[in-house]
Amino acid sequence: MSEKKKPHSISRRKFLKNLGSGVVGTTVAMHGLQKISKAQEAAEPPPHTDRSPMTITVNGKQITTLVQPQTSLADFLRGQLQLTGTKIVCNHGECGACTVLLNGEAVYSCHILALDAANKSVETIEGLLEAEELHPVQEAFLDHDGYQCGFCTPGQIMAAQAILLQNSKPTRAEIMSGMSGNLCRCGAYPKIIESVMAAAEK
Amino acid sequence: MTDRIDIISPVNLAQLDHILEKLRKPATYVAGATDIMVQKSRWEQAGTLIDLRTVQELVSTLEIGPEGILIGAALSFTDIIRYRIIQEKFPILVESCRQIGSVQIQNRATLGGNIANASPAGDTLPVLAVLNAELWIGPRLKDNFTKMSVDEIMTGPGKNCLQPNQYIAYIYLPFPEPTDPFWYFRKVGQRYSMAISKLSLAVLGWKHNNHIREIRICAGSVSPRIKRAVLTEKLLSNQELNSKVIEKAATQLMKEIKPITDIRSTHNYRKSTAGRLLQESLSTWARAGK
Ligand SMILES: Cc1cc2nc3c(=O)[nH]c(=O)nc-3n(C[C@H](O)[C@H](O)[C@H](O)COP(=O)(O)OP(=O)(O)OC[C@H]3O[C@@H](n4cnc5c(N)ncnc54)[C@H](O)[C@@H]3O)c2cc1C
Ligand code: FES
Ligand code: FES
Repeated sequence: MSEKKKPHSISRRKFLKNLGSGVVGTTVAMHGLQKISKAQEAAEPPPHTDRSPMTITVNGKQITTLVQPQTSLADFLRGQLQLTGTKIVCNHGECGACTVLLNGEAVYSCHILALDAANKSVETIEGLLEAEELHPVQEAFLDHDGYQCGFCTPGQIMAAQAILLQNSKPTRAEIMSGMSGNLCRCGAYPKIIESVMAAAEK
Repeated sequence: MTDRIDIISPVNLAQLDHILEKLRKPATYVAGATDIMVQKSRWEQAGTLIDLRTVQELVSTLEIGPEGILIGAALSFTDIIRYRIIQEKFPILVESCRQIGSVQIQNRATLGGNIANASPAGDTLPVLAVLNAELWIGPRLKDNFTKMSVDEIMTGPGKNCLQPNQYIAYIYLPFPEPTDPFWYFRKVGQRYSMAISKLSLAVLGWKHNNHIREIRICAGSVSPRIKRAVLTEKLLSNQELNSKVIEKAATQLMKEIKPITDIRSTHNYRKSTAGRLLQESLSTWARAGK
């Protein structure tokens, strides 16, 4: 599916404009007190690059790359890694379409910086697939019509996966509260819950 | 005009304090970033972000003392909900954390962030107020943290009294008296999940021989600052819980709070709902005692 969404959302574009063109970012991670004075120096002009190095594990693969410090994880996944299965709808931490797993827990990727995921492990909808084999949760959504237009589905599936990782036999109530942060404009909720219940049976 | 963003990630408190001492320009703290991400203008100006979620003590402390527990300010709500000691001793806190945002928000958002953000609608604030929470503010001065209560730190909507180099390090919660405490937390919003409170009410109390021995009441979203309803508390103490007393207390609470009208609700709605919630909680308590 090709989406017109550019890696930079409107608010980010505005953000960049406000900052002027010379955005320079650095991440200063410090290990050991003796390095602090160096970190202070780093607050003066650092090597001129607008990107910070970052190591991140995405769907089991470790990647070392450069990222602009103000890039959200969702923009990073979609724009830089071309993992467009993760959707952006509200871009505001309210709808759940962009849900991915960060160290096994559900988060809104539109609402955290890519740098926040540095040295952590991210799993996206693409990571559920094993070669051509659908993941049991994906299969359950297919079998039980857990979607209509499908746009919220990657986020729904990742939220469901987060619940099942914690608790392989969730109750209906647990599913409903665990997935309450994922909206579906088509209102496919009954089928979504049915799908998660079915996935738990597998 | 700032033309660069620095993210500083201190690994422990000693480093954090050292950095703050040396820092010449103002910095913005980031914990779960769930509030900060929607306030970009704040960090645009700051240029320097200090990541508190890398400070080991702040993200991992849960110390159990003889009279209470010490919680690192950067623990997420999910962390807090999962601790058995908190479930056992502070169920009212667990309840309020469970009602924040959604699981995705709870996985990231922190208790310290909820306090520092100082929204009158911050759901943990009334609860922390009735638990007599003590905030430990860094950096340490001669090895000591500055101590503050929830109503002291908040100076108005979105404003706290911390100096630029000060941060919330820990939240100390004294154990409530263990004999039959009654607790109640209720949040009224647009919908269950993700709603910003129109109003919330936290109540914690103890009875003795069918009389109220002690009661603590705090409503959220009803005033620019978080304050306990001390007059209502006073009216209720040593009273027997019957419908007349409950009625009087609800009227007193409605007099005592000074809610505003805003996009989420009106002054009158908030007042009468606060009274209703207090009635509901006290009636529940009255029935439970029988
Ligand atoms: C979709 C959504 C739903 C939400 N629902 C609710 C809800 O139901 N109830 C509710 O109460 N809130 C809600 N919030 C608001 C927010 O999640 C909470 O206020 C949260 O507790 C903030 O914590 P944080 O760690 O993310 O803070 P951050 O965004 O990291 O920081 C918030 C502010 O506090 C400062 N700060 C953070 N930690 C410290 C510290 N230790 N010392 C000093 N300053 C500090 C930061 O500089 C910043 O100004 C919601 C937010 C979103 C996006
Ligand atoms: S796109 Fe991230 S929550 Fe809506
Ligand atoms: S299936 Fe269309 S938004 Fe959920």
